[in-house]
Amino acid sequence: MILNPSQKRGLVGAAILAAVLIAIGLIVTYFGSRYQLRLVYSAFVNLLVVLAMQVFMGNARLTNLSHSAFMGIGAYVAAICVTPVTVKAISLPDAPWGLNTFSLDPVSSAVLAIVITAVLALIIGLFVVRLTGSGVTIFSLAVLVIVHSVFLYRTDIFKGNQAFFGIPQVFSLTSIVVLSVIVVFLVRLFRESRWGIQLRACADDEVGAAAMGVNIRRLRLIAWVLSAVLLAVAGIAYAFFLGTISARPFYFNHVFLTLAMLILGGMRTVTGAVLGTLLISFGLECVRWLETGPVLLGVDLPEVLGLSGIALGVVIVLTMALRPGGIMGDYEIEDFLLKGQE
Amino acid sequence: MLDLNGITKTFGGIHAVEDVTMSVASGEVRGLIGPNGAGKTTLVNLISGLLAHSAGNLSLDGEPLDRLRAHQRAALGVARTFQNLRVFPSLSVAQNIDVARYSGRGSAMVDAAIAEFGLSDKLNQSAGSLAYGQLRRLEIVRALALNPRVLMLDEPAAGMNEQETDALGRSLSWVRSHSDCAILVIDHDLKFIMSLCDRITVLNMGTVIAEGAPKDITKNQEVIDAYLGEADERAA
Ligand SMILES: Nc1ncnc2c1ncn2[C@@H]1O[C@H](COP(=O)(O)OP(=O)(O)OP(=O)(O)O)[C@@H](O)[C@H]1O
Ligand SMILES: [Mg+2]
Repeated sequence: MILNPSQKRGLVGAAILAAVLIAIGLIVTYFGSRYQLRLVYSAFVNLLVVLAMQVFMGNARLTNLSHSAFMGIGAYVAAICVTPVTVKAISLPDAPWGLNTFSLDPVSSAVLAIVITAVLALIIGLFVVRLTGSGVTIFSLAVLVIVHSVFLYRTDIFKGNQAFFGIPQVFSLTSIVVLSVIVVFLVRLFRESRWGIQLRACADDEVGAAAMGVNIRRLRLIAWVLSAVLLAVAGIAYAFFLGTISARPFYFNHVFLTLAMLILGGMRTVTGAVLGTLLISFGLECVRWLETGPVLLGVDLPEVLGLSGIALGVVIVLTMALRPGGIMGDYEIEDFLLKGQE
Repeated sequence: MLDLNGITKTFGGIHAVEDVTMSVASGEVRGLIGPNGAGKTTLVNLISGLLAHSAGNLSLDGEPLDRLRAHQRAALGVARTFQNLRVFPSLSVAQNIDVARYSGRGSAMVDAAIAEFGLSDKLNQSAGSLAYGQLRRLEIVRALALNPRVLMLDEPAAGMNEQETDALGRSLSWVRSHSDCAILVIDHDLKFIMSLCDRITVLNMGTVIAEGAPKDITKNQEVIDAYLGEADERAA
């Protein structure tokens, strides 16, 4: 595979981001507490989600609110496949289609989860690419609600808001760091690929792009499906570490959290996606600590519940008002190092 | 080469283009002139597939284009620029050109065209940062990257001073000597059109009122009444 000049440049940027992620992984592995390790693991899961969102939202510049649903589909399919029959006999006694009569190895489970998510995304995507602007936003919101309702009410398969337990712990912090590094490279190479460049051309000027031979719907479908595949990967990573999942983490709160991450960092660049995720993950921990009413510099602060929700809302509002392109705007990290060079 | 047969477009009650029949041969430079609102841009939109015609048919080398969408026509070599520029501001100059190169039929002349149109040292700049004249030239190079069989230029000299217009004319002669595509040029600068074109088609109120060599067009009474007279007044 031959890389174009933008992609070669992108490799530099991706390598810098990868180095940061690996550094975080190493520090937490050697110096972190068990609690911190879990915290950082979920930050990495969210990083995978935000990178996946960047593929569609950043390149096509359309708003998708159904991403957490696709993550949930990936997580549930993998969980149902990988959980041992003995556990499923207890947790899913009434499961249809013999779902509680088999169990697969982790790799097959993950592959199946990705394939099923991709097929669903392809079918839904055929409708999405016929819409523009706010049409995409509203449609994707409906997809989120529908998928969540299925998770909630098909308790015989998904257990709804109860915990779906007994998923073997396949992943470690190391696995997700490696996965994140791969996905950072993948997403960056996609952004600079022929498809990524043509998608961004469509976002700049749809009419101009069509006149230059760009098949807008086809490209948006490719980005949509790739995004869903990466979301499934995030869901699988989530299920394979935590051991239990439920419908709630794949709904509004998570959509809003990851959206804030992408918007703060800047959805147009991969650097923005990574930066936003790191900042908000860290910032939220500080906010959660404030919520408990700690003693700060001798001042006993009051307990403020709901502060994290307010903080996220404020982040979105302030970013949209002051810097609509997010912190990074159109800049990738290597732009500061390789100014003007090819 | 490019054949239009009875092409018609109505917007509500307005006949923007009415029963236009014309052919442009490969290697020919054809001027398309007419007063404001004559339907010139609409005709280009119909040929490039951004608008669907209400009646008639059009073909390229005998291959019907009527049912093809804009991006399919572009991939076959129907290229154009826009009267109101449509570059991709968030992409670099090189990427703007690549967008077309990726979907086109492959062209060996793009790199030479980049140099000819003075964009060699701008390739890594964001297209949003270019000056107006450079944007106009970028649109032409981008269209050339499709390796066009038909190249349609909608007022390429608009907003340019005399020197820039002369330079553009020379660059377009260069294109003509390096490609055998049919070129359709719209402009209100008659000196520019007359010196560049082999033949000229005059549109007025959506219909073709004259077609011929530049020197015949300037003598045509109907053209003088509809357009040239007006142009003279403007010049005065
Ligand atoms: N999308 C549209 N909807 C409705 N009417 C249109 C549309 N596009 C063009 N028209 C009308 O069609 C007619 C022809 O317009 P067109 O832009 O083709 O003229 P033109 O010859 O390019 O003029 P100019 O020299 O000013 O560029 C005008 O009356 C215009 O108002
Ligand atoms: Mg016009």
